[in-house]
Amino acid sequence: MERLSKRLEIKDVSKTFFGDKGYFTAIEHVSLDVYDGEFLVVLGPGRCGKSVLLNIVSGLEKQTEGKIIYNGKEWSGMNPEIGMVFQKLALMPFKTVIENVELSLKFRGINKKERRDVARHYIDLVGLKGFEDYYPKQLSGGMQQRVGIARAYAADPKLLIMDEPFGKLDAQTRYQMQEDLLKIWEKEKRTIIFVTNNIEEACYLGDRIVLLSDCPARVKEEYKIDIPRPRDMVSREFLDLRTKISDNTDLSI
Amino acid sequence: MDKINDRQKLIRSILYWGLPVLAVLLIAFGWVMFSGQHPELMPTPAEVWERLIKTFTKPIAKTSLVGHAWASLRRVLLALFVAWAFGISFGILIGWNKKARAFFGSIFEVIRPIPPIAWIPIIIMWFGIGEFPKILLVFIGTFVPLVINTSTGIEMVDKINIDVGKIFGGNNRQILKDIVIPTALPSIFAGIRTSVSSGWTTVLAAEMLGAKEGLGSLVTKGWQGSDLALVLVSVITIAIIGAILSVILQKLEKVVCPWND
Amino acid sequence: MAADKKTLEAGLASWKKQKKNEGIKYIFLSAAGILSVLIIWQLVVMVGLVDEKMLPAPTKILDTLLFKVGNKAPDGNMLLVNIIASLQVALSGFLVAIVVGVPLGLLMGWWTYADRFIRPIFELVRPVPPIAWIPLVVVWMGVGLKAKALIIFFTAFVPCVINSYTGIKLTDQTLINVSRTFGASNFEIFRKVGIPSSLPMVFAGIRVAIGNSWSTLVAAEMLAASAGLGYMIQIGRTVARPDIVIVGMVVIGAIGAILSMFLSKAEKYFLRWKINR
Repeated sequence: MERLSKRLEIKDVSKTFFGDKGYFTAIEHVSLDVYDGEFLVVLGPGRCGKSVLLNIVSGLEKQTEGKIIYNGKEWSGMNPEIGMVFQKLALMPFKTVIENVELSLKFRGINKKERRDVARHYIDLVGLKGFEDYYPKQLSGGMQQRVGIARAYAADPKLLIMDEPFGKLDAQTRYQMQEDLLKIWEKEKRTIIFVTNNIEEACYLGDRIVLLSDCPARVKEEYKIDIPRPRDMVSREFLDLRTKISDNTDLSI
Repeated sequence: MDKINDRQKLIRSILYWGLPVLAVLLIAFGWVMFSGQHPELMPTPAEVWERLIKTFTKPIAKTSLVGHAWASLRRVLLALFVAWAFGISFGILIGWNKKARAFFGSIFEVIRPIPPIAWIPIIIMWFGIGEFPKILLVFIGTFVPLVINTSTGIEMVDKINIDVGKIFGGNNRQILKDIVIPTALPSIFAGIRTSVSSGWTTVLAAEMLGAKEGLGSLVTKGWQGSDLALVLVSVITIAIIGAILSVILQKLEKVVCPWND
Repeated sequence: MAADKKTLEAGLASWKKQKKNEGIKYIFLSAAGILSVLIIWQLVVMVGLVDEKMLPAPTKILDTLLFKVGNKAPDGNMLLVNIIASLQVALSGFLVAIVVGVPLGLLMGWWTYADRFIRPIFELVRPVPPIAWIPLVVVWMGVGLKAKALIIFFTAFVPCVINSYTGIKLTDQTLINVSRTFGASNFEIFRKVGIPSSLPMVFAGIRVAIGNSWSTLVAAEMLAASAGLGYMIQIGRTVARPDIVIVGMVVIGAIGAILSMFLSKAEKYFLRWKINR
């Protein structure tokens, strides 16, 4: 595989939170690169660090130390080329599916007809055709997360961040969503940073896995995965990879 | 076995539908008995009915019962529209902007615990007993719950919803308009509901303390003229209109916030 | 690591300082808000834009407040006597409403037949604004403590019932089922599961009730009384003393705020006890 240009470089980033009861370091000296068009999985066992790292990359939070370099330039604050899928969904309960998906287009001031067309395209892509006028509450968990993915895609991001998007789904739905996510990604390539605490999911999805340690999060190891897709979760090489990563993972209860 | 079950079911459904009927009958019976024994303390249902008819044939202060009800209702509605406009805007301002909350919120917190009814004497001293002071009083009574509910609703909006707005490129104004205010809408609506019932109570108080027309003035008139039947007619009308208002608002909430069951 | 720790400690210290400054800024803003209203008020009166006989200056209000602490004029009672009279009425009506309303709401929420029987009676009483009861109550019972307390009772009773009812209806069905499998009787479940889980809602109702009681009190006293804050305001109006009226309003507001503060403290204390248990 050819090495593409670097989309994002995280350089020696640390984040410490201060509070009345003292301080708490969530991530410590994390450095990693994200290449154009790759599906990078950030795998972390603990509860801390991962989301914080994503929030720093997207500009929602500011790092205590270190630099974020986007497309070769140092960056701070919100980055309009980054889209995000949230674990907590964060769909607007008062907006229908299509209104949720077109949110970013509305903010950009695109006229209604055009943004409806774009939104329909992505609703189609995630397989929710026919549910445009439903409220999120009327959909199942898996379908709700599809809305989240369509919303992020509709913003036409160069870099798509997914924060444990399937964390709250049951196992069966989760497998289905993983498969579908890859299909969507094959159709509309984006650079993806996908965060999870599930080793199997990481091995199934990623071109590359960055393994983080437990609190505070540090980069522990990087794995490049050459198993061709679609990956068979019970194949020899898959299980070997899984065991290798598993043995290297900090236990977290 | 089946027979016993059937009988049990029958008993249950008799209790289920019979108890409310029994309760209503008991009240009616109690009223008839009490008014029969103490006519000076309570008019009989028949007297109240006759008094009700009389309000139409022999108008009080040149106005029928409907006219009095409309006078009260009109005052409340006028005040409500003004209070909705100002109360909701002010609630949004102090819920969204921390500096505004510190500056104006403190003033509001000082005024807020004064019950609307306690404003009546000073307002009468300032503006007399015309139409404006009554509307002003109702405005005071409705403004407070609106501001409290709106600002709390805005403050309680989950941070992640605002993050979504930021991620998808919304500026402050867009985030407020497209995300924060709609998220707070159920809570704003709760404020609207409270404002209506509080407005209805306040207008009565204002009218009872001095008015030519309005249901509150009828209550006072009946009271002073020892015409208890008139008092009851007015009170029942007041209760019915209050109940209708609250039903209308419930329906309206379903229309305004369809996602929120 | 040691050096790291030092910078972090320094970071924490500067964060705390920043937070403190922020806090001071907001306290300052709050004070500025209230002060600016008072100053504008004072100036408007001093310059003569508003007639002093309509709106006395804040300094005059303060004078009158201090005067009322030790003097009976013009309403015939010292301020403290009025306060006690009002509190006595409000609290007695309020307490009776809790004692009757909360159990009634719980009962209706737990036993369907109780609900079916009481509900129609309750729904007949509920939409009547408490103030509308005043004439009837006065005719029935005169203008004594009992009459006024009854009016307060009506206003405090409704939220007590509604919130207790809703609170106990919201009891987690799983908890009820679990208790049932352990062989608890319906009454035991009501006592040990239903009541505790309804407490937050019950408290919310009590808070609404005290607010209602205090604001209706003024109405009750303005229509018929011989002492109390509402009475004092009413006299202030008849003798054209706006300063007395405003002092009354300020004291009513202050006591209302203190009551609700006291209640939310009690609520916190009481509900924490529940969690710890």
